[in-house]
Amino acid sequence: MARVNNWQLGREMSYWYPESRPEKQFAAVFDTNKCIACQTCTLACKTTWTSGKGQEYMLWNNVETKPYGFYPLAWDLNLLEMLDGQQWSERDGKTVYEGSTIFESAPAGERVLGWRPSDEDYAYPNVGEDDCSGGVDGGASLEGTHDMAWFYYLARICNHCTYPACLASCPRGSIYKRPEDGIVLVDQGRCRGYQECVRGCPYKKVFFNPITSTSEKCIACFPKIEQGLAPQCFENCIGKIRMAGFLNTPDKAQADNPLDYLVHIKKVALPLFPQFGLEPNVYYIPPIHVPTTFTRQMFGPGVDKAVEVYRNAPNDPDLTSLLGLFGSTAQITRRWKRVGDKAIGMDEHGKELVSVPFREPVHIRPAYDKLYQITRTNCP
Amino acid sequence: MRLLIFLILLTLLVSACGHVQTPTAELNVAQVKEVTTDPDAAVWRDVPLHISKMIPQDLVDPRVMEPSTSEVQVKAITDGTQIAFRLEWIDPTQNDVPGPKHFLDGCAVQIPARIDPNVPAPQMGEAGKTVEIAFWRADWQAIVDGRATDDIRTIYPNATVDHYPSQARSLEGNPQALAEAAARYSPARAVGNRRGGPREQPVEDMLAEGPGTLSPAADTTSKGKGIKTKTGWSVVIARQVPAGFSPGTPTQSAFAVWEAAHGEVGARKMRTGWVPMILK
Repeated sequence: MARVNNWQLGREMSYWYPESRPEKQFAAVFDTNKCIACQTCTLACKTTWTSGKGQEYMLWNNVETKPYGFYPLAWDLNLLEMLDGQQWSERDGKTVYEGSTIFESAPAGERVLGWRPSDEDYAYPNVGEDDCSGGVDGGASLEGTHDMAWFYYLARICNHCTYPACLASCPRGSIYKRPEDGIVLVDQGRCRGYQECVRGCPYKKVFFNPITSTSEKCIACFPKIEQGLAPQCFENCIGKIRMAGFLNTPDKAQADNPLDYLVHIKKVALPLFPQFGLEPNVYYIPPIHVPTTFTRQMFGPGVDKAVEVYRNAPNDPDLTSLLGLFGSTAQITRRWKRVGDKAIGMDEHGKELVSVPFREPVHIRPAYDKLYQITRTNCP
Repeated sequence: MRLLIFLILLTLLVSACGHVQTPTAELNVAQVKEVTTDPDAAVWRDVPLHISKMIPQDLVDPRVMEPSTSEVQVKAITDGTQIAFRLEWIDPTQNDVPGPKHFLDGCAVQIPARIDPNVPAPQMGEAGKTVEIAFWRADWQAIVDGRATDDIRTIYPNATVDHYPSQARSLEGNPQALAEAAARYSPARAVGNRRGGPREQPVEDMLAEGPGTLSPAADTTSKGKGIKTKTGWSVVIARQVPAGFSPGTPTQSAFAVWEAAHGEVGARKMRTGWVPMILK
């Protein structure tokens, strides 16, 4: 194993291959507070990429309800249990992961610490996730506070990790990370369907196709990326929760790069289970109404600060304006700036792609309409 | 009279015990008139038996840490053009349906690509010293034996499917458009990867120059047939005779077995070392 730097852990770690970062890294920010689980993203992906035979059960993009939703079943809980509780600490002004990653915890004979879902684990996506877990008696009502009276939607795609466990797991080198954009792909000509990648990926975002006997995964819609366009699940997101782009490492963060600004400068977007050690590249603005005792495990120790920053967004015109750029154009916004009450999204050359006002004009209409001599009720 | 009954019973007992053979240390290839791929063919009866001890693949990760198949019984015949190997091993379960976490029983025969005193490493060869591998898989056998392919209901009988683009009504009568739609959602097939789907033989010919380098040969010319027995598998793999293999020029062979119920797939397998292969 090689020693590599994982900035999300604040330390070096062991990985199967030496550190080799792409020219630029495809990345994304998802705002969980905006997601309504309409599954439009899921269907956009499904119809575009996985409508074939053997792909019936595959959801390269899925949206699940946390804390009780999973696809596949218990994908996160199983591995968290195997890792058996780990710690972060403050060291020299830096937050450092003191526990073991899935690479460092690999048992003898294995490349990573992992597990394989069975076909049944994929069989019930979203079934029962939002339902009451029991019967409700007539006249019953919720009184007082309830510790678990919360849930949120977690949209998931492949994280196109800097240190992919799928890639490390494949004994044939059938998985590769594109040097030009960091997108992780399965070489469909080389794959022999050993399912080692399925076992190794902690996010369970590689899927075995029983008809072709090969493994398949999210390709970040690379034909669109190559044309400067956002992937299907981004473009079709009606809640506008997603922003696609390219992320620099923290030492090279650029304030006019939307993703760098959210991840490195504002630190409002956080990786999913950074403790696994893959340096995943889909970042989440954590749900602000959920106890951080829960979200800290899922998004790391930065979650309290992220929630605070997000809650303060109304007083932060820069952050508010950038959040308004989410889903505002089908093109990838490489740069951005705020001009007055508008956010300007630009391509890599600074050419304007979109201009979005982030403070809409407010009109308060009197209840009595003199013109038509009627009274209307204003709904809040 | 008692002696006669005793002799009859003794004869019956001996025949019931079957044909007991003393295994040979090397693999002696018997010359026959015509090679067969039928594991039950009578020709195998008197062919010398070699029993190879198996050990877990232990060169690269991932690997099996608990040994499974302890030995493989091997017989070999040749007609001068083809050489057929019959491999038999104990495996109580039949695993021939692919799926997530479902693996496939299999076996392989490995031979150095070139007869040379400087033998390649037995674990799939090494750089510059290619090995030829003929690989048999249980699901391929099921397909050759008539199981429907390309139908998810073969794997999950109760599955329902709303729609496949490759069966779109708007494309009916246009086979080329239907084929293109199927290929669009089947990237492995589109690039010529034939791990699944219809096939003529349950065997695939491959080349390797070390672990992780396995690649399909230009063509698969080998044939084979596998039968699930009460105790395990009996599989024949027939391939071309190695170039230069003759009574005066022995070579080597090696064998591998995958017991799917034990989670064996790819590098997780039981294997032998090189076994001297001699043409009598």
